[in-house]
Amino acid sequence: MDTTLVNFLATNKKVILKQWLDSSLDLFPEKMSSSTPVGEVFSAALEEILSVLGKNHTTCRAPLENVTRILAVQSFPPSKALSMFLDLKIILRQMMMKSNEADISRQEIDSSCIDQLLLDAFDSYMSHREKIYQLKVEEGNRRMFMALRRAEA
Amino acid sequence: MSKYVSKMSELKIELDKKPSVLKGNYSPQDWWDLPVEFHDGNWCFPGKPEVLQELGFPNPRKWAATDADWQLPADWKKTISDGLQSRLKKYRSMKLFLDSCIRCGACADKCHFFLGTGDPKNMPVLRAELLRSVYRNDFPLVEKILKGFSGARQLTPEVIKEWHMYFNQCTECRRCSVFCPLGIDTAEITMLVRELLNLIGVNNNWILAPVANCNRTGNHLGIEPHTFVQNIESLADDVKELTGVAVNPTFNRKGAEVLFITPSGDVFGDPGVYTMMGYMLLFHHVGLDYTISTYASEGGNFGMFTSNDMMKKINAKMYHEAERLGVKWMLGGECGHMWRVVNQYMSTMNGPADFLEQPVSPITGTRFSNAAATKMVHIVEFTADLIHHKKLKLDPKRNDHLRTTFHDSCNIARGMGMFEEPRYVLNNVCNTFHEMPENTIREKTFCCGSGSGLNAEEYMEIRMKGGLPRAHAVKYVKERHKVDSLVTICAIDRASLTPLMKYWNPGVAVYGLHELVGNALIMDGEKKRTTDLRENTMAGFEDGGDDEE
Repeated sequence: MDTTLVNFLATNKKVILKQWLDSSLDLFPEKMSSSTPVGEVFSAALEEILSVLGKNHTTCRAPLENVTRILAVQSFPPSKALSMFLDLKIILRQMMMKSNEADISRQEIDSSCIDQLLLDAFDSYMSHREKIYQLKVEEGNRRMFMALRRAEA
Repeated sequence: MSKYVSKMSELKIELDKKPSVLKGNYSPQDWWDLPVEFHDGNWCFPGKPEVLQELGFPNPRKWAATDADWQLPADWKKTISDGLQSRLKKYRSMKLFLDSCIRCGACADKCHFFLGTGDPKNMPVLRAELLRSVYRNDFPLVEKILKGFSGARQLTPEVIKEWHMYFNQCTECRRCSVFCPLGIDTAEITMLVRELLNLIGVNNNWILAPVANCNRTGNHLGIEPHTFVQNIESLADDVKELTGVAVNPTFNRKGAEVLFITPSGDVFGDPGVYTMMGYMLLFHHVGLDYTISTYASEGGNFGMFTSNDMMKKINAKMYHEAERLGVKWMLGGECGHMWRVVNQYMSTMNGPADFLEQPVSPITGTRFSNAAATKMVHIVEFTADLIHHKKLKLDPKRNDHLRTTFHDSCNIARGMGMFEEPRYVLNNVCNTFHEMPENTIREKTFCCGSGSGLNAEEYMEIRMKGGLPRAHAVKYVKERHKVDSLVTICAIDRASLTPLMKYWNPGVAVYGLHELVGNALIMDGEKKRTTDLRENTMAGFEDGGDDEE
């Protein structure tokens, strides 16, 4: 457990969340409003991620799923979509630089849980992309339901 | 003067600066500078040349939205310009819709595509502005005086690309119109632009192939009469196997009292076929004298998404067949846009149907005066009337394995104003109905995101984004009430909400209302029923394996 980071997150959660949410909604072409369904999902999920980050990465998976489910159907490329997790690093780094915690925490942020978060996000993003293709196949089959049934009979 | 009135100097700054609706990278630019970029997942495949040839539609060719050159016909600009002028003369409403918008923005955040994509051109006011800006250019004097101020622009190939993109990110659901203080029907603006685009061969195969199929064989998939009959008889066999009751649908039978027409998705697709089984059980239960046509074998009408003339031609089959068979009136199945065509356009397009009688339920004697002009009754009205008169033996416990919510189909809700009947039926056939939030149901219902012919597989990403507000509302009742069944009364909904739920709300299945009616009906002479029409075990009815086949 990254205690320094966990403490830092706990103390500054509100400010970090605001900055991270802002930069994440900025991914969308004209900045998604926070009062849209996308904004609501992002607000809830990012808050949940920040509250468990550094403690146990498996507990981040449910909120990560919700965020990547939205990211996986956007027009922008995966690299841009997943950059929101690198943004978190930058936000934290900048905030820590301002406070006096830069030295102790910088290495921690670079190497630890945010990297894991990004990797988990990649897995999750890909599972949603796979899902989209699966839905396309299933839809074709459902449309041909009676024809396939006869063919199989 | 009130102290709250804005100062002249402030107003002048606002006027001079004309603050942009845009943010981010494009904030210093005008809205039409936003680039239109086609890539996999955000465009529907264009109409195949052979499909266009079959329909006699212009400019058949192979092309893709990602091509730089769309191979528009040489005189495309004149075609669009003349096409717009002639339609403005023909449809007085259209001129009003184009002239009267005051840009109040009440519609802006009501569109499911805007909410799902965040793209400003998906605000209905701005989507309509894509056309209005060109329309305004047709008044040279005004344009000369107010150049740069009136928001007029030239018609260019880029504008055509923009129209193709954004008028195909409108499902003609009319949610925005509910909130428009001037009553502008933005769906009709989309219909008009799609009609104009079809004049120069800018189109969508997922719409035009069904149109060609309907034109030739009578239904979207082009199922020929013998297969159409075979499919329904096969479903009747399933009904017999599951319930022990032999329902006997008839086809093209002259002298039947009622002609039943339903979207063909109920005859070929999953989960529509279970709804078809529900209809047949219901008709058998009340002994309705009905027949099904293999000529008018489609309730849906993709002509509505193509052109007024095509819609009229496809719709005409209903009245022709009703007249040929000599029925008294028509009954229509669960469909969305079919009912916008039937309820709002049919009687003036192809009526008067004076060879038909005003529909009267032979079971209850109810006179459907609301269908006096069209002579066509909605199945949900018919069933609600039967339940109201206690003509159905129902056991709602047979749907206890489902926890339901109801999705108002856009065209039924906003095109017909039918809100209570489906809820009345649903509450009588199941015990677990939970409403979604108030601003997402009834006249404010959110579209499935795939209506108006946008249900193409290659368009899945856009459909998922457009359907997000609806999915978000389902999620709400899923989390609070453990809802796992989304009930609807539209064939496109049944087809498109299924992947939408699988993506956003895994674990929620989609049902037709009459499928649940079929589950709940206690049929004379039925065997002990342990499974629903999908062969899923019914809660509380699992015992007694002696009925196993």
